[in-house]
Amino acid sequence: MTDATLSPGKAVAAVKRPTGASIGPRWTNALFIAPYMVFYLALLVYPLFKGIWMSMLESDMFDDTSKFTGLANYYRLFNDKIFIGTIWNTVLFVLMTVPVFVAIGLLLALALNRSDRTSASLRAIFFGTSVLSVTIVTIIWKMMYMPGNGAIASIMKLFGLEPIAFITSSSLALPAIAITTIWWIIGLPMMLFLAALQQIPGELYEAAALDNASRWRSFWSITLPSIRRTMLVVVIYEIVAQFQLFGQAQLLTQGGPNNASRPIVQFIYEQGFRSWNLGYAAAASEILFLIMAVAALAQFFASRKRVEE
Amino acid sequence: MRKLTTALLAGLVVTAGASAALAADKTEISVARFFGACEADYGSVTDVTKANGECGIITALINKFNAESTTTTVKPEIVEWPGYDQLTARIRSGEPPVISVMHEAVISDYSSRGLLEPLDEDFAKAGIDVNDMTDASRQGVTKDGKIYAMPFDTHTWLWHINMNLFKEAGLVDEAGKPILPKNTDELFAQAEQFKEKTGKPYFISTLANETAFYTRTFDTLLYQQNVDFFADPNKVNFSSPEAKGALQLLADIFTKDLTTKNQDYAASVSSFAAGEGGVFICGTWLIDTYDQESKKDGPLANGYAVTAFPQIYPGSPRVWADGHSWVLLKQDLSDAQRASAIEFMKFLWDNNYEWARTGHLPVRKSIIDSAEFKGLPHRDDIASLAVNGTALPSAVKRQFSIQEIEGEEVGSAMRGDKSVDEALTDAETRINELLANAK
Repeated sequence: MTDATLSPGKAVAAVKRPTGASIGPRWTNALFIAPYMVFYLALLVYPLFKGIWMSMLESDMFDDTSKFTGLANYYRLFNDKIFIGTIWNTVLFVLMTVPVFVAIGLLLALALNRSDRTSASLRAIFFGTSVLSVTIVTIIWKMMYMPGNGAIASIMKLFGLEPIAFITSSSLALPAIAITTIWWIIGLPMMLFLAALQQIPGELYEAAALDNASRWRSFWSITLPSIRRTMLVVVIYEIVAQFQLFGQAQLLTQGGPNNASRPIVQFIYEQGFRSWNLGYAAAASEILFLIMAVAALAQFFASRKRVEE
Repeated sequence: MRKLTTALLAGLVVTAGASAALAADKTEISVARFFGACEADYGSVTDVTKANGECGIITALINKFNAESTTTTVKPEIVEWPGYDQLTARIRSGEPPVISVMHEAVISDYSSRGLLEPLDEDFAKAGIDVNDMTDASRQGVTKDGKIYAMPFDTHTWLWHINMNLFKEAGLVDEAGKPILPKNTDELFAQAEQFKEKTGKPYFISTLANETAFYTRTFDTLLYQQNVDFFADPNKVNFSSPEAKGALQLLADIFTKDLTTKNQDYAASVSSFAAGEGGVFICGTWLIDTYDQESKKDGPLANGYAVTAFPQIYPGSPRVWADGHSWVLLKQDLSDAQRASAIEFMKFLWDNNYEWARTGHLPVRKSIIDSAEFKGLPHRDDIASLAVNGTALPSAVKRQFSIQEIEGEEVGSAMRGDKSVDEALTDAETRINELLANAK
């Protein structure tokens, strides 16, 4: 018979009972999560640390003579006007899109949270754009934005107005990309909000109606608190997703004019695949990772604090 | 009757089987190219003389090769211009095409890293006479003393002119030739006159979504002033008053509304054909397309001319130039694949005249001197380009990235997003930073 005295602070050892069963950790249980862990380590943790290591190298795409340069790539990045511009563009883009995703996504969900055929059709239409590829989306919006004979220009000409040069104006290029992006993927936040709205018990609204609560009061006191966690998910998901803006900018404006719509990921792509400067591209990737982590964590803690209050 | 039907069917089966076996015996090689996709118009055309334009001619050439070759099948892989990001990714992932089209300005970046096969011996064995290559094309494909590509053309920057609008503007002389500016004052005077008489801008320019117009025009204006901005191949110098003057000229053209302002490449190409402006500054490759257009009813009907970039500065008639070529990517090729690749290159070499019909300059001296080439439309008007076309020095690394940066900054100043001084300083800083970190 084996026995063990457990004391605080000591590692829990497996304890064998007289029946043969044991309590405490059984390392063979780890096999259940092993498949996930293998992929997690190979596809996420390893690339993360490899990226950090690469960011400290002067490394060329096709040259195997990488040289350790410490933080030189980071120093160079923070003195690079183009990179600083991309940070500003990306943050601005996130600020332009994420609140709109939450507001319009929620409004659409509220409007279409019914079981009639029209609502079902509209839900499918709004979500339908999300399945399009970025190439199709940018072709559609190029045809909308073209100042000569684009759809918007044609409408403006009908009213005797001068067409607006959306994608060739340094002040309008980024908002134009933001509009394209919102049109493209507004369906996902809408669906997430719809799922959350359908989880709210109907009795709460019945009780509120009995208390003569206004629609606004019901929304503010029942709907919003009930979907707060979904809202947090939508906000964090969209922050992370929109910081990774690339395809729309690359295809609609190529980052121009005058660097006004170049996001960080496009900068990384250009440094890696066009200038073949992998170390520099990796350093920019790490900066993007940090910014995304800080933004998502800040939102997470702020929302959790509000929930606890 | 029944026996006859059976015999016919058996014959068909045997023939189909033999054809399939023959096709299976052919070696397939992948060829990555840009120049666009036009399968709908030229997918089955094997008579190259019936094809027009870059896309039509290259498609028909490949069709013809596939129809005639008993040993090789070329599988074209069409990429978006210029396609180097994709090529780089494919090389890095170990799956490059066998052959790829490549600008001569880019070859040294790939050849210096051992990514391309030298071709001198293969060309000698295949009977390709490298002494027949024009000086420009041979220099363009020769790096460190070895030939790394089959040159395909030399292309330059020039003016496509709508003569119908020029007549309306009173800018045609007694001989029926366009009256062109000889200095910057004349340029503005003629452009204003054109705008006043026709109500249309003098220039059609590709100012949106690509940087080629800005770089190539700006380089040409510098060449015209004899500015050697890459005297040191590791450092660009845009701090000369000539550079400032050239950029200010472009900015003035924009602010005085003498050009279309928001057109991308496709829009500007069709805008010129639709008669929306007098001069389209673009490349040699559109000559054949617009010449065909001038034979139809429309704004260009019997009214298309082309001319070398007019010399508006008194220094030199030199003009930006580059060349398309075909490279063999280094990889584990079988002898049959390599032989097939060289067979295809030899075919392109033999058919270089057909490609020159696009408007590009041929890469063979024998074709340039031939009556057949000289008889093509407008070739007398652009004969000087063969001598005056100027590429960046081959020792300059990362030429495509440099041209992108230069184009972005020139565009910023031309469109008024930045001052001329600031744009020139930024272009210089960014390019020199790139070169300082380029291996």
